[in-house]
Amino acid sequence: MTAPIPYIIQENCFWLTSERGIFWEKERALILSDLHFGKTGHFRKNGIGVPQAVYKEDLQRMVELISFFKPTKLIAVGDLFHSADNLELQLFSKIRAVFSKMQLILVKGNHDVLDKSWYHQNNIELTNRNYTLSGFHFVHDPLDIPSGNTEFYFSGHLHPSVSISGIGKQILHFPCYYFTENTGILPAFSKFSGTAKVKKKKNNRIFAIVENSLIEIEK
Amino acid sequence: MLQKTKGYQVIKEWMQAKKQAPFNFQEETWHQILIGESGIVNAPTGCGKTFSVFLGVLIQYINQHPDNYQHTKNNRLQLIWVSPLRALAKDIGRAMEIALQELDIPWKVGIRNGDTSASERQKQKKLLPEILIITPESLQLMLAQKNYAEQLNILHFIAVDEWHELMGSKRGVQVELAISRLIGASINKLSIWGISATIGNLEEAKDVLIAPLGKKGCIVQAKMDKKINIESIIPEEIDTYPWAGHLGIKLVNRLIPIIEQSNTTLIFINTRGMSEVWYQSILTAAPQLAGAIALHHGSIEQELRLWVEDALHTQKLKAVVCTASLDLGVDFRPVDTVIQVGSPKGIARFLQRAGRSGHGPGEISKLYFLPTHSLELVEAAALKQAIKEEMVESKTPLILCFDVLIQYLCTLAIGEGFEPDIILKEIKSCYCFSEITDEEWMEVLLNITQGGVALNKYDEYHKVIIENGIFKIIDRKIAMRHRMHIGTIVSDAMLKVKFLGGGYIGVIEEYFISRLEPGDTFTLAGKNLELVMLKDMDVLVRKSSSKKSKIPSWNGGRMSLTANLGKMLRQTFNKALIDETEIEIKSLHTLFEVQQRLSAIPRNHQVLIEQIETKDGYHLLVYPFEGRQVHEAMSAVVAHRIGQILPISFSIAMNDYGFELLSDQPIPLDDSNLPEIFSTESLLLDIQKSINSAEMAKRKFRDIAVIGGLIFQGFPGEHKKSKHLQSSASLLFKVFEEYEPNNILLRQAYRELMEQQMEEERLRAALDRIFHAEILLRFPKQLTPLAFPITVDGLNRNSLSTEKLEDRVRKMQQQLDKN
Repeated sequence: MTAPIPYIIQENCFWLTSERGIFWEKERALILSDLHFGKTGHFRKNGIGVPQAVYKEDLQRMVELISFFKPTKLIAVGDLFHSADNLELQLFSKIRAVFSKMQLILVKGNHDVLDKSWYHQNNIELTNRNYTLSGFHFVHDPLDIPSGNTEFYFSGHLHPSVSISGIGKQILHFPCYYFTENTGILPAFSKFSGTAKVKKKKNNRIFAIVENSLIEIEK
Repeated sequence: MLQKTKGYQVIKEWMQAKKQAPFNFQEETWHQILIGESGIVNAPTGCGKTFSVFLGVLIQYINQHPDNYQHTKNNRLQLIWVSPLRALAKDIGRAMEIALQELDIPWKVGIRNGDTSASERQKQKKLLPEILIITPESLQLMLAQKNYAEQLNILHFIAVDEWHELMGSKRGVQVELAISRLIGASINKLSIWGISATIGNLEEAKDVLIAPLGKKGCIVQAKMDKKINIESIIPEEIDTYPWAGHLGIKLVNRLIPIIEQSNTTLIFINTRGMSEVWYQSILTAAPQLAGAIALHHGSIEQELRLWVEDALHTQKLKAVVCTASLDLGVDFRPVDTVIQVGSPKGIARFLQRAGRSGHGPGEISKLYFLPTHSLELVEAAALKQAIKEEMVESKTPLILCFDVLIQYLCTLAIGEGFEPDIILKEIKSCYCFSEITDEEWMEVLLNITQGGVALNKYDEYHKVIIENGIFKIIDRKIAMRHRMHIGTIVSDAMLKVKFLGGGYIGVIEEYFISRLEPGDTFTLAGKNLELVMLKDMDVLVRKSSSKKSKIPSWNGGRMSLTANLGKMLRQTFNKALIDETEIEIKSLHTLFEVQQRLSAIPRNHQVLIEQIETKDGYHLLVYPFEGRQVHEAMSAVVAHRIGQILPISFSIAMNDYGFELLSDQPIPLDDSNLPEIFSTESLLLDIQKSINSAEMAKRKFRDIAVIGGLIFQGFPGEHKKSKHLQSSASLLFKVFEEYEPNNILLRQAYRELMEQQMEEERLRAALDRIFHAEILLRFPKQLTPLAFPITVDGLNRNSLSTEKLEDRVRKMQQQLDKN
């Protein structure tokens, strides 16, 4: 893991990592979005043989982040799970049990379709729309952020990525963090997920995940 | 012997009554069929090739049932007629039905393809007609039926129409596999006949087709001289800077008199996108043609396509703008003129298109060539010469297509299931898989039963299961999805385009739509459409009045010049400014002069290399004239080798004449290291390294992922649920590259790239030629006429870099600061 970048919002320090997660120092909270756990299993169950290693890597990366920051809570900004229940989720349950003291809050995303009892059994606190902590809000879909808001909202859903171009018709794409004055959109945590392009404008800040490092996109 | 048989006499009398007589090649085919041979009939369209095989089958039947051939009904399936295009089926079926009726033979002719109604299919399920005209995909689907073996076991004949088109494509591999199974299932000795236009490797085409029979077979050739009259439409003003694709439209007014003077004209456009543009432009130039001109391409709704085809037969149309969709088979008798817009890229295709006009034996095919950029006039001159020298290309048969094999095995698993040992023997009898190793076979079986790398305990992959040694698919949902999937072998993932309020317009490649954003407009089926949103697998649109609209770039645009034509082209450049007897060369005089003044004109024994600096960066242009495919490979290798001298990033563009490496820093290439850069030494290693870094396999993987069943397109009624199963080919490619690089389908993408595109042999030969040629290294002050079309073609650029990604990003950011 390379050094995280501090990002200050209203005197709170948020550490952006190249591992696709944010650590909120004051609240000792790890913020992740669009983890899509169980996606490879869902594909495989339906006869599409994608490698499960990508799921394993996602889980490992989460464990690394937890071990490094030792958060007291994990806030998942939606799409923690990809689809209906499948065997792969048992692997998640096992890991959840290891970090049982850590609070796990899920802001329900459009993919979170599991039975309520499932979340309960795995000690996951489910919030339907908006989770608020110390004046910071967490919603899944950026469209759910009320217009004209003055408080800060974190969201996911979009899977943002940025294209940068240079002389000689070079173009490169990277997943990224996307911030405006009052909002922050997280990159999809899962490596088995597509992306949607966002553009650098005057009033936003973009941090591209370039392999193992974070680079702020200036132009 | 043939002449004495009852069958022959019946057929001959029937022909005589119509004042016809069999052609020699037809009699020869009948004779071969009579003695149980298999093989290929080689004849141009419109001279009775269908009847050569079909009547041969009837003669055989009459001979075997001399007394009751006019009485016995329901004889079960006798002849399977594989035809690549749905459009062909109706016409051939009609012709056969008329003949059967007149001969008073109570056989039935059935058609089976994507358009066949469910009720008709049900009827066929109970009892198959004597003759079944079928597409390769539907033939596969038949093998997914539970009782297919019983239904097919008394089959006698398989005929494969347009084999030259099928061979070399994955649909051709589907045919090979189906044939091997039909032979395995039949109690008779099957006879297999292919019908093919002229290609350079007819002998090989025959071997591929009948490989599962293990016989030598024969080739019956129709000796018919076809007169072709080719005329280039010469622009009044030649652009010195030919911009790919832009000259053509300006010439639209020249088409109008040709259309008006002809009976019916087919206008062939290379890409579906451009066909949309041409259709609009012709209507604008000649509004009086409204209603008498139509558009025909593969993405247009089927009903409309069928209407166009009917209208062509009945001479209701003055002109049809079409793509390769009308390349094959059907003879539209009213067609007397063909216009080819843009380079046809190959001699065989050019001949075939010319042959779409003036079919009758002895008639002259009339073809106009309209260049889309001025340099294409050189191609026209080269084509004329090639036809004079009777040069025709070969089609390379595909080998080891594991995606098709995986699809086929799943198909069998849905039907009766299969026993690996029996099926392996059949598969090995196919040309495509004759070299399959035991390891590869095991991998394929593992792929369908275990789905690659899994976390054992947490896995639920059960696509194909094994019961008492029989491999089966029992999950109904998976089976249903697979059936839906078989038809999608046509390559890219296709999305349906619909109006918001309902109403289906056509289909479009996912690849194209993925580059649009809501609010963008594009053209499909002659309509300007605004993208509203993507919903499930549908593209929802509304009508747009916007004048600016994007034109889908379909794969057709990437077609590459064949080696033969490339060679002719190089020779034709020898004439530039020297021998101007040909109108095409003469009209390019000014362009050649500018090229000569700024740089040089490469002659056959020379290779031109230009280095130019513009505001875009540093350009290196090389002109080997080997066709886009070879250039794509060569450019990657050259970029890789230069990248070894110092870390550097390239954006790469190419056309049929040459390629461009563009960089943000000076490119270190001069006399001293030229020989090294173009050397054939350690070529194979450099090819492998460069294709890995250039991500070229990604494009190949798109098709393979669709055929191999990794990309699921969704089907009616399952929209919501299937949404969770969607992923793009590029994402899958990334995931496999990183987590399962050994995956058999991923490896196939690289192999296909090596074999089809990076053809080591052709690349080696090309490099060798450059190595021994006289190199003209020039440093023009500005872009030259030859360079221009390459650099402006922004689409489909490749990239290759030997810099560290992080460094690249930082540098790009700094460059932006400076500006």
